[in-house]
Amino acid sequence: MSDQPITDLSEPRLASSWSAATGSWLPAVILLLVTIVLWEAAVRIFAISAFIIPAPSEIAKSLVAQWGTLMQATLVTAGEILFGFLVSVVVGIAIALVIVRFDWLGRALYPLVVLFQNVPKVALAPIFILWFGYGLAPKIGLILVIAFFPVTLSMLAGMQSVDRSLLALMNSVGASPTQILFRIRVPHSLPNLMAGTKIAATLSVIGAIVGEFAGASDGLGYVIQFASTQLDTALVFAALLLVSVLGITFYYAAEILERIVVPWAPKFSQS
Amino acid sequence: MRIETIRAAGDRPVHIRHDDLISAKGVSVVIARQLILSDIDLSVPKGSFVSLIGPSGCGKSTLLKVLAGLVQPTQGSVSIAGLAPVEAARKRMIGLVFQDANLLPWKNAVDNASLLLGIADKSLSRSDLRARGQEMLELVGLGDSAHKRPNELSGGMRQRVAIARALALDPAVLLMDEPFGALDAITRDSMGQSLLEIWLRTGKTIVLVTHSIDEAIHLSRHVHVLGIKPGRITESLDIALPYPRDLSVTEDPEFVRLVVQLRTMLRSSHQPGGAS
Repeated sequence: MSDQPITDLSEPRLASSWSAATGSWLPAVILLLVTIVLWEAAVRIFAISAFIIPAPSEIAKSLVAQWGTLMQATLVTAGEILFGFLVSVVVGIAIALVIVRFDWLGRALYPLVVLFQNVPKVALAPIFILWFGYGLAPKIGLILVIAFFPVTLSMLAGMQSVDRSLLALMNSVGASPTQILFRIRVPHSLPNLMAGTKIAATLSVIGAIVGEFAGASDGLGYVIQFASTQLDTALVFAALLLVSVLGITFYYAAEILERIVVPWAPKFSQS
Repeated sequence: MRIETIRAAGDRPVHIRHDDLISAKGVSVVIARQLILSDIDLSVPKGSFVSLIGPSGCGKSTLLKVLAGLVQPTQGSVSIAGLAPVEAARKRMIGLVFQDANLLPWKNAVDNASLLLGIADKSLSRSDLRARGQEMLELVGLGDSAHKRPNELSGGMRQRVAIARALALDPAVLLMDEPFGALDAITRDSMGQSLLEIWLRTGKTIVLVTHSIDEAIHLSRHVHVLGIKPGRITESLDIALPYPRDLSVTEDPEFVRLVVQLRTMLRSSHQPGGAS
């Protein structure tokens, strides 16, 4: 009978997708290693000055030599990113909920949110320094204005894409708008929201670094700026490497969160 | 039950007993300046199984939505046991099943089955709801799949959960809009057979929208044929085959005769215009 469950496929499918994932990583890893070797060779052969392009070995040396300073800066930046990211997600969700739940407020708010999205937010950094000083606050503010938008937009898309027939079913038994919002729309929007959250995680890293560029006495952004004025390009690259590692870490943390929050999402149940 | 008094010849009052659960009188629907349904009169006796069949675009789904209170008729009136459809739905008298099961992917089968009941009756506890959901899943033959999520169920099983969800309300009438339309032929047959068994066991009144001639004759007691442009009931057919019916009914000479008759009716219903 075609009326049989199809669950038994899930185990081997997971296993095969894992081996497929490692298989697909391999070419990228090889290319990366080849690039590093060519980079090292090119710098040595053409005797390129270390303050223009440092060799990978120079970057590694700098990383080891400045390990203490770099770790301290990484910790500061990571804290800004995490805090700013969480604030962005909370504010982004709140704005989306208000837009969907209160129709007139939504119609007032939504165009302004979209309009604000077109403001080059990086340019706000100096103003935030002016308003909030050199501490944590301007970085959080900058991350917020950069990162809340994908959260709001993705959650809105999810909440507004509920099937009309399902809404008709809910309405037919007298469900209130609040019941429909929290029992149907919000859970339905979670897969979209998680996608938006991953974008916000990446943007939070950018927000933190830009915030530190604009005015800071600590953090990886500060290290990058300080080292470049000292022509210590190897240290700039070392800090850049750590910023990238932070970005990747936050992205995958969001991805793991996604698997925990929405294991039922279509992307996990399709092959 | 309602008693209507009309005046017969010589002004003699005549009492007519209606035990129609659903009655639609002169229902017309205009959507975006288009006449979708024109002057529909439909009565569905209590406990009956009625099918609405017609070509695409004849408004049979719209008619079902009117009966469910989801679409307001531009003209005419509908009553479900004397109530307006919206009121009847609020009193849990209407169970709805659509072509798409529309289950919540984050809830398991038993929680999906009790979803609407939980909203309609706030006095029920979580365990009451679970018990009721489980009972309904057993009725539709899914008693052992209670904890599976929709993505672990086949299309036919998902639709069974949707039927369980509608039945959990203990509605007087089950309104079904092409509930098996997205299923393959074999699943479709077994779903139809299950629906018949559920109908015989529960005594619900069922209105089924379908475009399958075989399905309409296999399942229903009365079939109404809808024509297009505008949507209207062109013909009605009583299916005199005895219940309980199983799939072997499709080999019955009477079944074959009815298929031919219904197909002829459908062909003439394809002609737009007034010929009725």
